[in-house]
Amino acid sequence: MTPSPQSQAPTTGPSWAEGVCRGMCDAGIRDVVYVPDNPLAHVLRELGDRYADVRLTLATREEEAFGIAAGLYLGGRKPAVMLQSSGVGNSLNALTSLLLPYQIPTVMIVSMRGDAGEWNSAQVPMGRALRAILDSLAIPHATVESADQACETVRAAAATAFATRLVGACLLPRRLTTAS
Amino acid sequence: MNRLDATRVIVRHAGDGLIVSSLGHPTYDLFAAGDRPRNFYTWGSMGLASSIALGLAIARPELRVVAIDGDGSLLMNLGSLATIGMLQPANLVVVVMDNEEYATTGGQRTPTAHGADLEAAGRAMGVRRTATVESESELAAAFDTERPDRRQARGSLLIVAKVAESAPTVKPPLDCVWIKNRFMNAMGPA
Repeated sequence: MTPSPQSQAPTTGPSWAEGVCRGMCDAGIRDVVYVPDNPLAHVLRELGDRYADVRLTLATREEEAFGIAAGLYLGGRKPAVMLQSSGVGNSLNALTSLLLPYQIPTVMIVSMRGDAGEWNSAQVPMGRALRAILDSLAIPHATVESADQACETVRAAAATAFATRLVGACLLPRRLTTAS
Repeated sequence: MNRLDATRVIVRHAGDGLIVSSLGHPTYDLFAAGDRPRNFYTWGSMGLASSIALGLAIARPELRVVAIDGDGSLLMNLGSLATIGMLQPANLVVVVMDNEEYATTGGQRTPTAHGADLEAAGRAMGVRRTATVESESELAAAFDTERPDRRQARGSLLIVAKVAESAPTVKPPLDCVWIKNRFMNAMGPA
């Protein structure tokens, strides 16, 4: 696979976002389906600026994003889905009645809300429940603890997902994405 | 035209194209109309047939991809029309089997029985080619994207097929992984 990024322009975004992009690319991902979020905007900008061979597809809702990702996989691609933790709630039927029973893999990159540093109480219940929900579905999840671990954490989660044909998740906590 | 008749028209026109069917009666009728390895039968994920087909259409631009959706199912994921209107892959056809009822769950009436117009929704979301059809010949004509007068307006095609309910009598195999593997093997690598 062609090494990415193709552009040698210096990155201007946060290094965790750069690591997420490299991790996805190293795992062979060239399709990213997403519903945007503030921290994920850094990843989207980095992908758009420096990864010309990565196709970005906007979805109107997270459940739809998983449907599009399933089609991409069936067509021979390796898709990632990027979403906010609240959007995982919108995705449960797609996960439990399409991706999991058909063994259609993807890696979800989840920007966390509701964890340390949260200011909006409406984001808290889903954020706090997320790991238990993923555990109850036997969806493995890894948390990116620091910027220097972002690339390897994402790469390993994605590689495992596609090798085992099971959905995996990488969680990006606010302490990572909102650090100055 | 009942739904099984309409499904037979689609299978007849599908060639080596891919067909994704929405759960319940559309999936049962696709199996009855013509089981083929390039059929992807969904057994769940109500609303996502057009999204799965969109992902396939992006991934495999050399193949025609047909979603067989239901009116109740599409109403559950109406945002899909906006995404299709934005991306507009010319190899994507979404056929909505509009029987104006949730037939699989006992025939409760859907909003299309009260005037909701899914073709108008598609047009409003920018889907470039749309049609509402009420007979097999109209469906066949709408489905034929090779017609010269349609070549000018490349883009995704949304067909709302007004159909009568037809009680299915057979179902495809329940083994989801088998359905997926057969489908992917039939298509071969990209």
